[in-house]
Amino acid sequence: MMMQNKVAVAVMGALLLAAGLMPASAGAQTAANQTYPTKPIRLIVAFPPGGSTDIIARLVAQKLGEKLGQQVIVDNRGGAGGTLGTEIAAKAAPDGHTLTMGTTSTHVIAPAAYAKVNYDPVKDFEPITLVASTPYLLVLHPGVKANNLKEFVALAKSQPGKLNYASAGTGSTTQLAMEMLNRAAGMDIVHIPYNGNGPAGAAALGGQVQALFGSMPAVLPHAQAGRLRAIAVGTSKRSPAMPNVPTVAESGYPGFEVSLWLGFFAPKGTPKPVLTRLQTELTAIANSPDMGAQFEKNGASSLTNTPAQMTALMKTELDKYGKVIKAAGIVLK
Amino acid sequence: MEELLPNLALGFQTAVSLQNLMYCFIGVFVGTLVGVLPGIGPLAAIAMLLPATFNLPPVGALIMLAGIYYGTQYGGSTTAILVNLPGESASVVTCIDGFQMAKNGRAGPALAIAAIGSFFAGTVGTILIALAGPPLAEMALKFGAPEYFSLMTMGLIASAVLASGSMMKAIAMIFLGLLFGIVGTDVNSGMSRFTFGMSGLADGLSFVVVAMGLFGFGEILQNLEKGQEVSSRDLLKTKIDHLYPTWNDLKLSAGPIMRGTAIGAFFGTLPGAGPTISAFSAYAMEKKVAKDPSIFGKGAIQGVAGPESANNAAAQCAFIPTLTLGIPGSGTMALMLGALTIQGIAPGPQVMTQRPELFWGLIASMWIGNAMLVILNLPLIGLWVKLLTVPYRILFPSIMVFMAIGVYSVNNLDLDIYMTVFFGFMGYIFAKLKCEPAPLILAFVLGPLMEENLRRALLISRGDPTVFFTRPISAVFLGLTILLLVVMILPAIRKKREVVYQEPDAV
Repeated sequence: MMMQNKVAVAVMGALLLAAGLMPASAGAQTAANQTYPTKPIRLIVAFPPGGSTDIIARLVAQKLGEKLGQQVIVDNRGGAGGTLGTEIAAKAAPDGHTLTMGTTSTHVIAPAAYAKVNYDPVKDFEPITLVASTPYLLVLHPGVKANNLKEFVALAKSQPGKLNYASAGTGSTTQLAMEMLNRAAGMDIVHIPYNGNGPAGAAALGGQVQALFGSMPAVLPHAQAGRLRAIAVGTSKRSPAMPNVPTVAESGYPGFEVSLWLGFFAPKGTPKPVLTRLQTELTAIANSPDMGAQFEKNGASSLTNTPAQMTALMKTELDKYGKVIKAAGIVLK
Repeated sequence: MEELLPNLALGFQTAVSLQNLMYCFIGVFVGTLVGVLPGIGPLAAIAMLLPATFNLPPVGALIMLAGIYYGTQYGGSTTAILVNLPGESASVVTCIDGFQMAKNGRAGPALAIAAIGSFFAGTVGTILIALAGPPLAEMALKFGAPEYFSLMTMGLIASAVLASGSMMKAIAMIFLGLLFGIVGTDVNSGMSRFTFGMSGLADGLSFVVVAMGLFGFGEILQNLEKGQEVSSRDLLKTKIDHLYPTWNDLKLSAGPIMRGTAIGAFFGTLPGAGPTISAFSAYAMEKKVAKDPSIFGKGAIQGVAGPESANNAAAQCAFIPTLTLGIPGSGTMALMLGALTIQGIAPGPQVMTQRPELFWGLIASMWIGNAMLVILNLPLIGLWVKLLTVPYRILFPSIMVFMAIGVYSVNNLDLDIYMTVFFGFMGYIFAKLKCEPAPLILAFVLGPLMEENLRRALLISRGDPTVFFTRPISAVFLGLTILLLVVMILPAIRKKREVVYQEPDAV
């Protein structure tokens, strides 16, 4: 009976939300004796619901809501590679009641690849902390005659311009990861863009392309089932989900690192005490074993840092990916 | 095969628990309610209701989402038939004859046949998934870019058949649809086309915007133009003979339902093609096999039965690649995959072996969901038909408001509402010119997929166009396309000759 009520309430809540009415937060009373937050917090996710960024955001949002005593409502504002939603967040009132889940895509790649983006990832935001990162896994169709990265590079070099790789779209991290590898290893594997991670995975599964540097959550199940051959992981350390798969760096390309980080940002000018409070809570949430287990189920792992480290990270990556983007001739308009 | 019975038994055992039946009912019920709102199709409905399922147990969450999926799909057909508003691309074809039936006072039989056809198709789809899910999914993986391109070309040519009037105008509408489909970011280069610097257009025009504008707004504008007559515009001015289909209706629909189911089951398994292409292939098929094709577009029950069965069979079979391979066939299926991931289940081939109760429970609940839809909707038909007796001056503002909410809810973009108004005026002009919007919509949906696959195929073949003829599956589709063209052009040539002969008499 309890469960039934819960469902009914949840459904009604969703319907009310759909109609643009914010349901009253259950924890609102406890916030009365604090200054922040004074109302429900809006967490802008610049991607549609159901994707990996959305899932991570929702997991954290629920816990953050409990800790702050105010509901944290996820507001999906997808479109234009995540730039639409991020722009909305940049222009929101800097009072700590609007936050956004920024990623490598929204805060590094989009600003570097798009000819025009209406926000500055460094100047328009207050970075709070990272919460998680997702690795990229280099997988091959099982028909490709290469069992490791070395053999694959040799194969690609023996027939330049003949092999194809799939990506989740032009200017996506999956393309940039492969382009970086192309450059590092001196290979010429041709880019075939698909519309998202799903179709790119299907193309690799069906042998339409030979390789895919895919996002972990999308390709891991297929690699585990042996339908795709995982030959390398893009992070600096091996992934606990696939401990037998070496990193690209240890396979002969030291310094190679590609992963997708996810972190919280507030609009520029958000008061310091609010930022400190959020940083404390978010760091604790992301580092809790419970959340770590949840992340792992979704192919991600906990990763936290400080605002200063986040700014430094963005600057390094803007430079790193900017070079690849320029070299590969990617301009998104 | 011999494992089928124990597997299905496990499935029903899971799905028939009181709690899961309730989730299924809530899903179907909420889905129908939301689906009846114009502009809110399965994708928007699931996106909105997804968070509500986060705290449910995995089986329950999936069952409820599947219920919402079927419910909205069916609700979309209801508005297509009653007020000429397709909830999603798959119900565009239903508008053609379904709305005519409603105008002839036969809304009841149209709704009932849609429910019955969908139930039959759903049952067949469920059996198909249980029997042959994994091998079918393997087959779907054989479809590469050249195959998709050839399939889409065939679909596009077939869509010309949809027109009940001038073939020339239908072709013009197809080209216009293709042009509208070009708007947005080009998948290969990342350049935007025809966005006029508006970032809201970067992902292209949304289907909901185009369909709501052309069909919904367009229809309302036409009716308002009639001025004084508007108040007397009563969909029920023709006496309603039957609220439910007659024996003859059922006899007429049996063939279309079966053919539609077969077509839908085939296309539904292919990721990407899905319900839309099957719905209008079924319509084209019915028009071709009919003894008297001229009844189509004027309220032929076959024109509702075929496509409705086809889109439901396809909706059902879309679960095959999603569940067995972890490859979503559509945006809606991508959301369902997201729901699985949120529940901590990695979708893919191992779901069946690692979580049999989930896999088979979902399959059993699909059938239960379809059955619930019929039980829920047959008694509701009377209520829906009564809705038509609401005076138009009250009905049309409410439709406009709901439409605006529906359009806005998809992307939370106000630009979408303005665009809908723009397409509303286009719809009005088209109606004046006697140009039918259905071929435009279908070209709009298929065009981008066609272009994407054409360029991808050529990219992989390094610019060699012979791939389309040397790959067997692709060659078969292209062969069928040529056949279809010949069949379409022959009568047109013959008719022209007749016209030529008739002319001296006329003078």
